Amino acid sequence: MAKISLPPSGLAEEVLEGIGDEPDELQLVTFTIGEQYGVPISQVQEIIRIGNITRVPNSLPYMEGVINLRGKVLPVLNLRKRLKLPEKGISQESRIVVVEASTKTLGLLVDAVSHVIKVSPEIVEKAPEEVLEVDSDYITGVCKLKNSLVILIDLERLIRRENIEIPQGEGNNGN
Amino acid sequence: MDYNELINDYLDDANGHLNAFDGALLSLEKSGYSREVIQNVLGTLHTLKGNSGMMGFDSLKGYVHKVEELFKRVLDDEIGLDRVMDLLFDSANVIRNVLQEIGKERMVVTGLTEKTSAIEEFLEGSDSGSKKQEMELASYLGTKTDTIKVDFKRLDDLLNLVGELVIFKTRLNQIGERIRAEITTKSLGNELDSALELMGKTVSGLQEGIMKARMLPVRHVFHKFPRMVRDLSKAMGKEIRLFFEGEDTEIDKTVIDALEEPLLHMIRNAIDHGIESPEKRIAKGKSREGKITLCASQESNYVIIKVKDDGRGIDFDKIRELAVERGLITEEATFDKDAALSLIFSHGFTTRNEATDVSGRGVGLDVVSRNILRLNGYVDLEGSPGKGSTFIIKLPLSLAIIPALMVEAEGEVYAIPMSAVDESLKAREEDIHLVNNREVIRFREMVLPVVRLNDFLGLNAARQKKFYLVIVGKSDKRLAVAVDRLRGQQDIVIKSLDDTLGKSYGIAGASVLGDGRIVLIVDIMSIYKKREVTRNG
Repeated sequence: MAKISLPPSGLAEEVLEGIGDEPDELQLVTFTIGEQYGVPISQVQEIIRIGNITRVPNSLPYMEGVINLRGKVLPVLNLRKRLKLPEKGISQESRIVVVEASTKTLGLLVDAVSHVIKVSPEIVEKAPEEVLEVDSDYITGVCKLKNSLVILIDLERLIRRENIEIPQGEGNNGN
Repeated sequence: MDYNELINDYLDDANGHLNAFDGALLSLEKSGYSREVIQNVLGTLHTLKGNSGMMGFDSLKGYVHKVEELFKRVLDDEIGLDRVMDLLFDSANVIRNVLQEIGKERMVVTGLTEKTSAIEEFLEGSDSGSKKQEMELASYLGTKTDTIKVDFKRLDDLLNLVGELVIFKTRLNQIGERIRAEITTKSLGNELDSALELMGKTVSGLQEGIMKARMLPVRHVFHKFPRMVRDLSKAMGKEIRLFFEGEDTEIDKTVIDALEEPLLHMIRNAIDHGIESPEKRIAKGKSREGKITLCASQESNYVIIKVKDDGRGIDFDKIRELAVERGLITEEATFDKDAALSLIFSHGFTTRNEATDVSGRGVGLDVVSRNILRLNGYVDLEGSPGKGSTFIIKLPLSLAIIPALMVEAEGEVYAIPMSAVDESLKAREEDIHLVNNREVIRFREMVLPVVRLNDFLGLNAARQKKFYLVIVGKSDKRLAVAVDRLRGQQDIVIKSLDDTLGKSYGIAGASVLGDGRIVLIVDIMSIYKKREVTRNG
């Protein structure tokens, strides 16, 4: 397992350079929200600093709002709230991980981005439910590293579930 | 180019020919035999036949060939035009069905043998010794045009890019001002100014150009209806003629597309409910033939579409009677034109006791008002009993870039589409009164309900002593939206919000401002909806 440490900026452009594509290797962008979480690098578009987030009234409670990403209006999901973890304010280390899933692009608000790691797919195990603090529905599996654990997030499911839930304040059935 | 694309191109073309065919038939029916019209239609059919054969739709090719044959006989004076009109109208339908089938199945499924031999029999019955007409070689080339076809998506992408360019331009101007304040070389400052100004002009020109490229004359949607009016009125034993006014008025293609369905319902409504039967019309001293007129005109940044009929008009007493009967309103309720309008445009309301094929199910006009409101437009209805009625639609010229009033609520800036705004004024807390526990304000002899944007959007509402009221809507739908501050008017590029956010009730979309900030666009329609719900529930 190769470990690539992140430059102080924490920006993906600087990290993603020089990483070769080796078959049979899973590359993960890892970040923290309490625990270490990871998503496949293929689904990550970029990592950006927190700028101006515009809150959208009457949207889903865990949606932080929208940001302007080079002229595009990008929705931002607060991953802590989504996974029902205790809330934590935005800090210097906070980042937005821009991901693509199910043909949608959205930002994930995380506490901090840690590393890009390469692991072999064999070490990904099915998540033992009792060790997880979060709803295992959104978890693909866990990666056991030497002295830590990376929880893999299933982005497709994370997004799909949102569309089923009905936000509060919805006052009309549209005839 | 793969086969699918080829079929799409073929269909594009074929539908154009079919429309021309339809148009020619209508003109022949109206004005009688015309050598020129028939010659033109022969060219059209010939191309359609050739293209169909090239695509391997041999049965269609064979059928069109027979239709061509019919016309040629008419041209050679072997058959009278009036004898073949019905057969020709029928053939247009056959071709339309086959084209739709090709659109869905990518091939011709239905057998055309029966239809083809029907024409064949007719031809043989009339006369047999027809001589084959030779096409002149040059006519294969058709006529040259100055237009090209462009996939609309490309224009859409271009408009998006221009939208971004407009945003960057504003930003550059802001930066320019700051640089201006810092530099001491006067000539450099002037150079910067003139460069920025020239760029601004070019960007505006570009924006206008792209908007124009996306525009189509409203004729494109109007001309879809003559056939429908003809068929429906025949089926109902009515005599109706359709007229057009201002059909060259140009509108953004997205608006044109969105207009189709509302127009369909309004015209259908006029045929079924508006125009009377010929007997009744004569009895009333009107002309035997009813008249429906589609008008289009432009008023600054809006387009006005009217559907006029000279039928029986709206019978307000009958509407009131029915509404009371069905428990929609109470006997005592004040019933004016505005109340009648909101009934007519509400779902499930019909003046018919039984549904006909055409209308009477109570759906239709509610679709109209919903669709139009979604486009940031308004529907109104004018008319008096006995004299006819006029539906009036007001729409922004473009759906992509609209003028908006920028307002502030809880420190955030929101945009209200100007199409909804009537006017705005300053107000104080004392101006607001409570009636039935609801906030209202007196505005020019009227009492208008007040909706506080803060409350509506579920924001924390710190009440301010002085605030502003934006009067939105028309007639009965008029209400005052209370906002903290006004920030002026501005053109904004509408971007839709992703559904991962949830329903984001009350917000119609977002726009990016010059400084890179995002403003949310207030969905005026949902304010009405929410009021409806609270009123009824």
